[in-house]
Amino acid sequence: MTRRVIFPLILFAVMVLSGVALELLPHQLLMGTYMIVPHWLFVMLIYIAIFYDRNDTYYAVLYALIFGLLFDIVYTGILGVYMFSYALVIYIVRGLKKMLQGNFYVLLMLSAFGIAIADVSIYAIFTVIGFTDMPIEVYLLNRLIPTILMNLLFLVLIYPFIIKPMRKWGTELT
Amino acid sequence: MNFFRSKKLFVILIGFIVLVVLIGYSLNSRGHLNFAEKIVSDSVGWVQNIAQAPVTFVTDIVSNVSDFKTTYEENQVLREQLSQQKSMVYDLQKLEDENEELRSIIDMTETARDYEPIYATVIARSPEQWVDQVTINRGENDGIQENMVVRTAEGMIGKVLHTSKGTSTVQLLTGFDEFNRVSATVLREDDKDIFGMIEGFDEETEMLLFRIIEESDADIEEGDTVYSSELGGEFPAGITIGEVKEVVADQYGLTRIAMIEPAADLFDIRNVIVVNRSIDQPEDEEEGDEES
Repeated sequence: MTRRVIFPLILFAVMVLSGVALELLPHQLLMGTYMIVPHWLFVMLIYIAIFYDRNDTYYAVLYALIFGLLFDIVYTGILGVYMFSYALVIYIVRGLKKMLQGNFYVLLMLSAFGIAIADVSIYAIFTVIGFTDMPIEVYLLNRLIPTILMNLLFLVLIYPFIIKPMRKWGTELT
Repeated sequence: MNFFRSKKLFVILIGFIVLVVLIGYSLNSRGHLNFAEKIVSDSVGWVQNIAQAPVTFVTDIVSNVSDFKTTYEENQVLREQLSQQKSMVYDLQKLEDENEELRSIIDMTETARDYEPIYATVIARSPEQWVDQVTINRGENDGIQENMVVRTAEGMIGKVLHTSKGTSTVQLLTGFDEFNRVSATVLREDDKDIFGMIEGFDEETEMLLFRIIEESDADIEEGDTVYSSELGGEFPAGITIGEVKEVVADQYGLTRIAMIEPAADLFDIRNVIVVNRSIDQPEDEEEGDEES
């Protein structure tokens, strides 16, 4: 029963916190050429997909749809961009996970891959609807790479706190 | 036909169609949030209000420490400036009195310069930096309407994009484009003001683009201050936007564009003032008369 409530609560908290995430970074970073997007919500979803979801459950994808939509409403105003990108990539990550073991290195690898695909997908959609006209080579260097690194850092930082409860809840799932 | 039988592909295709529909919907109905969006914005805004307090506390401590280092130097500079300003205060007072007197003679009480401030605090900044939005903790209930100008003590930072009951979203100047323009002016003596539009932000140089529409004989120069102008019909006049850094020809060579350095720090925004223009816009003139 508590499982049903705890993930939405955590995801909601992470979504709210990403609104103030940029305040925590030094302003020189923001004003400079680099763009860093905190995909913390996505990192949490990856944890759920790898350590909680079984082969026959789709919790992570479901949460990606719900909280992606909330994220769109609150932070971008363009509905569907984050919802679609997050849900699609979580679905792909979920598929890849079946072939691999759920350990730290697999998590790191899948996350780097997932964040990259998700951010490229967001870039593609924003380019198509004309919200950005950043050339692709500038995007890759100034936004994609810093974003991946920053989010991997977040992933590693929360790993010690989240891995034990995550594994425990995962085994309890019936 | 195998293609359509595959369930996974089918779901992804449906998802793609939903995406296109949603994006189309949100691009078309901009300006107004629908009912569900307002509820979500309000409830998330309520939590953000709580979450923002401890984060501000921590970042304030950090910035306070770094402020200490520069305090002495700043103090010196400010003292010098203060002594210069003392004489200006006297002049200003004199001019203001005179202005009021003259205005009462011609029976004109409100100008496009007057505004009612609504004070607000930034509770979140969009993590997606292409969107350039911040959320503030005042909304329709506090009298905020779409398209109001938002400023800090230093100068203009943007305008209200949409509102819900308790929060509103502010589009920053950095996110302005051809569809979100601000009419602006550079003051010159004898009615020779230079008029134009702020119509974009250059990411590379971090400067606002000020397209000069009507250029008087007086040429625009580096160091000129650009103010908002009442001619756009939405904004009050006289809010500082920024300082001219460079003037270049536009890509067709027909008009000239001035690069403006924003007066306000657009990356470190905490407390803002939403500007409610007191003078009524022509279409609600009758309504305004009843109120006053």
